[in-house]
Amino acid sequence: MANNKMLVGFFVASESIFFVMLILAYVNFHGTVTDGPTAVNSLDPLRTGIFSVFLLASSFTVWLAGRSLVSRNHFMLKIWLLVTIILGALFIYGQASEWLGLINQNITISRNVFGTTFFTLTGFHGFHVCVGLIMLSILLGLAMFGDFKGPKSDGVECVSIYWHFVDGVWIVVYSVIYLWAFF
Amino acid sequence: MSSKIPLVPENVKPLPRLSENEGMLSWVASVDHKQIGIMYLFSTLIFFIIGGLEALIIRIQLAQPEFNFISPEVYNQMFTMHGTTMIFFVVMPFLIGLGVYLVPLMIGARDMAFPRLNALSFWLVVLGGILLYYSFLTQSGPSEVGWFAYAPLSEKPFSLNKGPTYWALGLLATGISSVASGLNNIVTILTMRTPGMTMRRLPLFVWMILVTSFLLVFVIPIIASAFAMMLLDRLLEASFFTPAHGGSAILWQHFFWGFGHPEVYILVLPAFGIISEVVPVFSRKPIYGYEFVAGSTVAIGLLSLGVWAHHMFAVGLGNVTNLYFSLASMLIAIPTGVKVLNWVATMWGGKIWFATPMLFATAFIIEFVIAGLTGVAVASVPIDWVVTDSYFVVAHFHYALFGGSLFAIFAGIYYWFPKFTGKMMSETLGKWHFWLTVVGFNMTFFIQHFLGVMGMPRRTYTYHDFPYWGSMNLISTIGAIILAVSVIVFAWNIRRSLKHGEKASDNPWNAWTLEWYTTSPPAVHNFELVPPVRGRRPLWDLAHPDQLDEPNSKVV
Amino acid sequence: MENLGGLFNPSSPEMEAMAELTYYIIAISIGILAIIVVAVTYIIIRYRKQSGDNSEPYQNFGDLRLEIVWTVIPIAIVAVLFQLTCSTMKTIDPAVGNEDPDIVVIGHQWWWEFYYPKSGVLTANEMHIPAGKKMLLRIESIDVIHDFWIPELGPKIDAVPGHTNHLWFNASEEGVFLGACAEFCGTQHANMRIRVISESEEEFNKWQEQQLVVPRTPRYGKAGTGAELFQTKACMNCHTIKGTQAAARIGPDLTHLNRRQTIGAGVLTNSPENLAKWLTNPQKYKQGSLMPNMKLSDSEVEAIVAYLEGLK
Repeated sequence: MANNKMLVGFFVASESIFFVMLILAYVNFHGTVTDGPTAVNSLDPLRTGIFSVFLLASSFTVWLAGRSLVSRNHFMLKIWLLVTIILGALFIYGQASEWLGLINQNITISRNVFGTTFFTLTGFHGFHVCVGLIMLSILLGLAMFGDFKGPKSDGVECVSIYWHFVDGVWIVVYSVIYLWAFF
Repeated sequence: MSSKIPLVPENVKPLPRLSENEGMLSWVASVDHKQIGIMYLFSTLIFFIIGGLEALIIRIQLAQPEFNFISPEVYNQMFTMHGTTMIFFVVMPFLIGLGVYLVPLMIGARDMAFPRLNALSFWLVVLGGILLYYSFLTQSGPSEVGWFAYAPLSEKPFSLNKGPTYWALGLLATGISSVASGLNNIVTILTMRTPGMTMRRLPLFVWMILVTSFLLVFVIPIIASAFAMMLLDRLLEASFFTPAHGGSAILWQHFFWGFGHPEVYILVLPAFGIISEVVPVFSRKPIYGYEFVAGSTVAIGLLSLGVWAHHMFAVGLGNVTNLYFSLASMLIAIPTGVKVLNWVATMWGGKIWFATPMLFATAFIIEFVIAGLTGVAVASVPIDWVVTDSYFVVAHFHYALFGGSLFAIFAGIYYWFPKFTGKMMSETLGKWHFWLTVVGFNMTFFIQHFLGVMGMPRRTYTYHDFPYWGSMNLISTIGAIILAVSVIVFAWNIRRSLKHGEKASDNPWNAWTLEWYTTSPPAVHNFELVPPVRGRRPLWDLAHPDQLDEPNSKVV
Repeated sequence: MENLGGLFNPSSPEMEAMAELTYYIIAISIGILAIIVVAVTYIIIRYRKQSGDNSEPYQNFGDLRLEIVWTVIPIAIVAVLFQLTCSTMKTIDPAVGNEDPDIVVIGHQWWWEFYYPKSGVLTANEMHIPAGKKMLLRIESIDVIHDFWIPELGPKIDAVPGHTNHLWFNASEEGVFLGACAEFCGTQHANMRIRVISESEEEFNKWQEQQLVVPRTPRYGKAGTGAELFQTKACMNCHTIKGTQAAARIGPDLTHLNRRQTIGAGVLTNSPENLAKWLTNPQKYKQGSLMPNMKLSDSEVEAIVAYLEGLK
């Protein structure tokens, strides 16, 4: 049978390189803005940190969904998938409101290189989260129609790998953008 | 003698046969790797002719100094589209498509690991081509900033036409296609080999496709991110690469060449694979130094990731940086040289039959050595400071990509055409094609080495009437016209052979890898039974049970 | 050989060092190519399959010692080549340190601006230097990436917006040396030519003095009309002529236009007829250039030519 997990594993490796390049661009321009908005004077690491906790928690809950699958607990599988989606959606909400706040202060992608690199990096990450949310919703929908009785499912396992990847990227992005500037 | 080995389960509904004409829909909807492979090959032929016409227009404009055949804008569009087309819509999809057809057969599989993903990869190339060429229909025309699209020339306010936007979008589509192909190849090769085919018995073409696939998976994201940033700059006024707004023009070059250099190895490694299949068969000997050919491929793949800034020696990165990249670039010549020596050693002591595939393979060796030597020359920083951005570099990379990759591609076409179509190609037309190509190619490009060292810059729509520049350019143009004739002969050979070619047997070249065990063309399911694999040349072992390649191997 | 130009006429110590290294590598390359060509030719003759002979030859799989030998030898060649690379680079591109440049080169689409900070001379497209003296050039760009290249005199280096480069520049003898932009910079990249006039020390000083003279603006006759037209038509929006109100830097400085050998960054030789042709329609001679067709009448062209040709 086709090795779906190997496929997703290498795909995740490929996408990681994509994010490495965006992070390198951010790092390249970090500190080059002398007047105007920068990470230090525009961002709120605490607020974003709280929403990050939601995202990281969702990694934990998707792992729990996987455990439910293995133990054939169909009901809990659905619950944990749902909780994962809600946590992910909360993260997106937090990201969106952060963006709106910045844009209202005229801190946009075209304002300066901070705006350019910040919105691009967080934007592509948010996009990947949204794609993950769509896939998780598809899993949840299929589960509600009776699929994924367990103990194994390539679909659930592969989407989980992708979701962990999205969280891992965020840990790096958060550290580079929010922690590095402030510490 | 043969063992019944269950493969990937059959589909419940039989797939259409290649020989049955069930119309366009059977092709468009196909997920069979052989049909997809043929579609790849056929579409690259179309793009090859388009890219060739673009080159011919360039050469006509340069035939005389201060010539007015086309305007400077059109000239700049022509060389942009010629480079982009040849790299992304001819050589890459041809080599990937050839792999799509051959890899499952060579490893004794029924299809690739992900047939639908395979189809998606092909159709994304078509979409990419449509997006790229759609730009001809817009008011401002196609991109005119070169296939390398250096910033800030490719950005506002210097490039206001839509061409580069279509260019970037088209290439993003093919980029996704290439990553998908790379992923598909990796999983297929690592998990679907028939029992007995260990990694050390893998046909060298498959090795090359494997290393190329790893390169694709890891370097396409680099250019994808660069295109994304460029599009954000152009469409949303971001400032990644615009120095006037705090951006960095040099960053674009790092990203572009970070992809661009491994890309040239993507363009050439599968070609090495073709040569590594053709030369042994026509020399009637196994490849000399299999482990070294395979191992040097891995070395090249790894080293290729660390040499990109040799394209940037004139940018002013500082001599410490320059010297590191210079040394690394010279080192990469060594595994490549090892390969060439192994091919020559394979031929040594053989009984060589110079059918058309072998003619191209032999010529490849000479042309590619020239490319490699001029490559080592430009790896030396002071020499690069003399010749970079001149016609010397144009000569160098055409020796590598035309004399190298394209000659290997021709060898591969003549070699595998009987397998794919069940018909032999005409040897007479093949020989005409070969000699016209050798004469035309060398006439076009050898003289450009001299134009370069004499000071003719590249990417210039015209030039001053310096001594001999006009006559040398004219010679080059005549060579290009000879090449155009050779392509007509080639296309004619394809058409004629498809219609009236002599029927091909299963194994007309008496070759030894698994694809030659099937019928010509192969049945939909590839193999009824896969022969046992106890060495690198399963068909040799079948025919010579007393002279096995690996006499001590256990039967599977 | 010299009239072939470029590598065949090295006219500076830097270029001679690079030419030497190049010839050395060419010699090694020809040697290696010869070995391969001879081997392949021998193989084609000696190991060709004879018709009727269908036996298989000896199946030789390889030889570890041979592989080692032909891996080690190229490594040795590369080591030598790299060492020569390092020493040549030290010769032609020593560190700049804190030295002030002798000439600042600024690339524009599609012309070159040359500023001599030590004397204050500002000119375009044609650079005068004293023969035999090593000068330090600072290379910049105001718009896109260009590249400063005089094939007979030395290495090329990019002019990158937002990044400064330096180049040690030298001509061993007197003469005129032609160069060009060597990084694709748009529509008229092909016509962004450079002229380096290497002359004796006294002639160079004389030239500098002449360049610093502010010409008097004529007030009568055709030239006077021309001077007035220059101010009233849009010319002064792009060009500088010292002594007048025209002080823009979008196009070349025209203060001493009469002393230039070419116009349009090498597109036409400088003569009254060519200047008239250029002014009538610059797009005809340099299509895509940033100087639009000003739609001047014939008499206006005549007047402006009279004025500009008087700017010595």
